[in-house]
Amino acid sequence: MNGYGGHILRVNLSNGTITKEPTPAEVVRGYLGGRGLGAYLLWTEVPQGADPLGPDNKLFISTGPLSGTLFPGAGKMDFATKSPLTGGYAGASMGGMLTAEIKYAGYDSIILEGISPKPVYLYIDDDTVELRHAEAYWGMGSFALEKKLKDELGEEFQIATIGPAGENLIKYACINHDFGRQAGRGGVGTVMGAKKLKAIAVRGSGGIPIANVAEFTRVAKEAYRACKEAEGFEAWTRYGTMIITSWCDENGALPTRNFQSGSFEQGPNIYAPVFRDKIVVTDKGCFGCPTPCGKYSYSKKHDIYVEGPEYETNGMLGSDLGIGDIEDIARANQLCDELGLDTISTGGAIAWAMECYEKGILDREQTGGLDLRFGNAEAVFPLIERIARRKGWLGNLLAEGVKRAAAEVGQGSEKWAVHVKGMEQSAYDTHDATSMLLAYMTTDVGAHHNRAWAITYDIAVGRDKVTPEKAAKVIELQHIRPLMDCLGCCRLQWVELGLSLDYYAPAMTALTGVEYSWDDLLHISERVWNLTRMIWVREVEGFGREWDAPPPRFVEEPAVGGVTDGKFTPPEAAQQMLDFYYQQRGWRKNGIPTRETLGRLGLAELVGA
Amino acid sequence: MGVTLIPVGFLKEYTAGQDRLELAAGLTVAEMLEMVGIPPALVAVVMRDGELVSKDYQPQEGQTIKVIAIMGGG
Repeated sequence: MNGYGGHILRVNLSNGTITKEPTPAEVVRGYLGGRGLGAYLLWTEVPQGADPLGPDNKLFISTGPLSGTLFPGAGKMDFATKSPLTGGYAGASMGGMLTAEIKYAGYDSIILEGISPKPVYLYIDDDTVELRHAEAYWGMGSFALEKKLKDELGEEFQIATIGPAGENLIKYACINHDFGRQAGRGGVGTVMGAKKLKAIAVRGSGGIPIANVAEFTRVAKEAYRACKEAEGFEAWTRYGTMIITSWCDENGALPTRNFQSGSFEQGPNIYAPVFRDKIVVTDKGCFGCPTPCGKYSYSKKHDIYVEGPEYETNGMLGSDLGIGDIEDIARANQLCDELGLDTISTGGAIAWAMECYEKGILDREQTGGLDLRFGNAEAVFPLIERIARRKGWLGNLLAEGVKRAAAEVGQGSEKWAVHVKGMEQSAYDTHDATSMLLAYMTTDVGAHHNRAWAITYDIAVGRDKVTPEKAAKVIELQHIRPLMDCLGCCRLQWVELGLSLDYYAPAMTALTGVEYSWDDLLHISERVWNLTRMIWVREVEGFGREWDAPPPRFVEEPAVGGVTDGKFTPPEAAQQMLDFYYQQRGWRKNGIPTRETLGRLGLAELVGA
Repeated sequence: MGVTLIPVGFLKEYTAGQDRLELAAGLTVAEMLEMVGIPPALVAVVMRDGELVSKDYQPQEGQTIKVIAIMGGG
């Protein structure tokens, strides 16, 4: 099948059986691959009500049709599962080199099911697929294990691992790869840990069948050239995502002290030029990337190497914790990576605890002796370790995420537990940005930015405006950006370099031999969006509008300081935005897709509407 | 010889599609943006010869300044 590996690899960890199945052509025609394929498999294979950490839940590791090809940014893959953090859909994308090896080995998806009786790792060398003992690796950090497996198996193997956080079932454990790339959000690493799967090592030597090699090569090379010649190329390559830190700070979007403010008085100490000059060693890119946004860094202060921090980590382990030293942020970043924790959720959980501490709700006995004031990096480092190991009362509490932690502690702390659907919000303050707030409220994994990011749009059209056009913009972005995750390529070439969207459909047509228009691709992306919505409807009892509620922090409390000082989004404005959104999506007032909408998208039969 | 201002991406919508503007030296970048009608808050990145500078920077004669908006976040 042109454009695809051609097979799905099924690995049952309970009984050790491994089977190869042909990739169904009609499924990839309807869902493309990557995120779309993962969502389809999650819907069809995981029984309703499955315990996210039990044997019935599955982890789907899916490449996209563009993954591993010449198309720029073709280094992306998707991890889908039922989230142990939120109880709903989890889909996390990851860059690096792994997706190409999986594709070259001939697989469009790896289905991990059951639970192994003992720790194992999955070895894939084309058709040779084995579960190998990993008792000796249990407890190892991510970087250490990746290095060890590369030493043992060979540098050409690409490795994904979990750290101790995944083993200890921290609800937001991540999957690590390529010494600094993560599938970060929603607890995909937690599910891997529950399955006692410590690592995946893959080498592939096959190719990707292409329907029209000459045309695909022409489109891919043209797109590549357009990226290299883009006016923003130099800036993005030099600074990566860190380049936006100063702008976020200026515009009240940089999360500060648990999102109490969007501006950080120590901000200039963590801006991109300081980062580049002080700690960056070299640039680091994913497979097929013309714009290496990854920055490999060395902190002399802590004597550690780390890929990063990138912007989200800078915000969530930096300003949101009141930390204004780029080397301290790099250290916290490195700890999270080695231990296998999502930096965004870790930052959100610690920021919530710091606010509790400063408000007298947590005392020093409860923090295990840590002086948990905002800005105290020396308390953050051991707390990260305690979370990853569920050590002490506070470490164990924060390991569950802010929603559960606040429910246990109470005393009003739910008001500053900054999450949507149980997922900690990523690094954009939304006191005064109604499109971005709506994006967070409706994103299909929880409060994450990668499905839609609209702060520049908010500023351009009026930050506090409440209009149908704003809801339409969020929906438009929620179709385009996740489409990239279905295709298996990075969105940054489009969103930041301005790569024309006109390249994608011709590339897919030449690659697969199936005639795709841009509208066809968007229609599929909308189908996937509604399917992930239906996963929530199926898995969460009573799911509805209240699950799209904004964090109280942004609709009940004004921001403090900076350009958004005193600003917040009135609750009725947030609800009005939600009304616009549901109406345009073809969802009922309770946030559930109508039968007509599901029918229009070809989902009615699948979901039994 | 003045200063060349290059708006990138959708910022050109504010300059009637012009992708290079020749301006007199003596203004800060922020003042130049105001003058040509680009809202300074939309500009996230100001580059001078490959280096980041702030919007308070005052370009010298003959320099080229590129201004970029952020459309995608981190």
